[in-house]
Amino acid sequence: MWVSSKPSTLDSSSLSFRSSFINPLQIPSSNPSNSSKSSSSSVHCSLRELRNRIDSVTNTKKITEAMKLVAAAKVRRAQEAVVNARPFSETLVEVLYSINEQLQTEDVDVPLTSVRPVKKVALVVITGDRGLCGGFNNAILKKAEARIRELKTLGLEFTVISVGKKGNTYFLRRPYIPLDKYLDGSNLPTAKEAQAIADDVFSLFVSEEVDKVELLYTKFVSLVKSDPVIHTLLPLSPKGEICDINGICVDAAEDEFFRLTTKEGKLTVERDVVRTETMDFSPILQFEQDPVQILDALLPLYLNSQILRALQESLASELAARMTAMGNATDNAVELKKNLSRVYNRQRQAKITGEILEIVAGADALV
Amino acid sequence: MTLKLCVLTPNRIVWDSEVKEIILSTNSGQIGVLPNHAPIATAIDIGILRIRLNDQWLTMALMGGFARIGNNEITVLVNDAEKSGDIDPQEAQQTLEIAEAALRKAEGKRQTIEANLALRRARTRVEAINAIS
Repeated sequence: MWVSSKPSTLDSSSLSFRSSFINPLQIPSSNPSNSSKSSSSSVHCSLRELRNRIDSVTNTKKITEAMKLVAAAKVRRAQEAVVNARPFSETLVEVLYSINEQLQTEDVDVPLTSVRPVKKVALVVITGDRGLCGGFNNAILKKAEARIRELKTLGLEFTVISVGKKGNTYFLRRPYIPLDKYLDGSNLPTAKEAQAIADDVFSLFVSEEVDKVELLYTKFVSLVKSDPVIHTLLPLSPKGEICDINGICVDAAEDEFFRLTTKEGKLTVERDVVRTETMDFSPILQFEQDPVQILDALLPLYLNSQILRALQESLASELAARMTAMGNATDNAVELKKNLSRVYNRQRQAKITGEILEIVAGADALV
Repeated sequence: MTLKLCVLTPNRIVWDSEVKEIILSTNSGQIGVLPNHAPIATAIDIGILRIRLNDQWLTMALMGGFARIGNNEITVLVNDAEKSGDIDPQEAQQTLEIAEAALRKAEGKRQTIEANLALRRARTRVEAINAIS
């Protein structure tokens, strides 16, 4: 058997056939450009082997194609989830804005907003549950590693809260990274999962075990692009923005601050900016409780919806990454199959020609 | 004269229609809201919401949030809301027992905070079922 690559790994390296003149010890992936170009001419298999190979490639193509379609359907569902969450987040932002305006002058003291000197940081890392989605999981884990190194050089303690199976196995294999909790992601993130994470983060922060919570997730930009980002989750600022007052800048350079915009979090590729008309907030509105208490009730909601949005974006990115990866795999399989078929047909033709020659020669000899 | 009630959770819209009267559990006690109520904003505790449709009372378990009342429109923003009919009584009772046990076992500030929250949520769900009258 000269064809060395597994049919399941359909990246460019799998196109490489080890032909007879290449050193058999060479790794197939080390010469992808060379062999993929010359593949049609350098395959030396028997006809039967070629046929088997074509069959297996066809099967793989079917699988990758199906996975791509499934991912595409799920992306649509993920979009729907975001659309469903929109009325909530829009109203929330609206209310938070108007309350902020009323609170401008007052000195608020809410546990979730208290800025303390940072000693320990909790990192919430959101990964996917499954592989076969290109570099999606690797990208976010690499980002987490880089952040951990940064925190170490700053001399800060840290702990990791991992969400998603891929992250869990990654951190389990690295016992030197202190882990607080594993949480499993699910097919479609709901408020329950976001609540579980929020509860954990909330208690960590309020009990002063950590002084800062950062959220690492993959931001969905478009179907072909997604960025791993770091997002400061806590302390929240009552104005919806984080300003580092304590002097030490612990934020990563590309740290994204909270900004109360409703146009964020849409999964549509064009990121449509539909802004619902803001209802006139009655100026005679009375606060039943102390404004601070109301803020205290609102901010956990805000925290939740932030986490939920991160989960949804991460899921959408994963699905989009899988769609792209599987699309590429299908394309590769098609090309591989084409090349193999050509070689197969050529060999078959050569064999037939040979047989005819033999018959003709035999007939000539008899005459 | 009716009130328009809108209960929103991050996932979905739980309730969006006209009602006659509601009773909300706020942080400073229960308040009843009838049509033409003065515009107020209030924080909602983990507790039950009672809704009157004509002569029927409906109960809902709310998991903490915020409400805005004004212009005969009530907007309730909560983390989670469950109608009493959707709660499985056995499951709710079990969750309550688990939560109580967890609180007894809780050590340290952090675990106590977590256990307390869970207990209050579980208790509200059980209350929502039993409050049917």
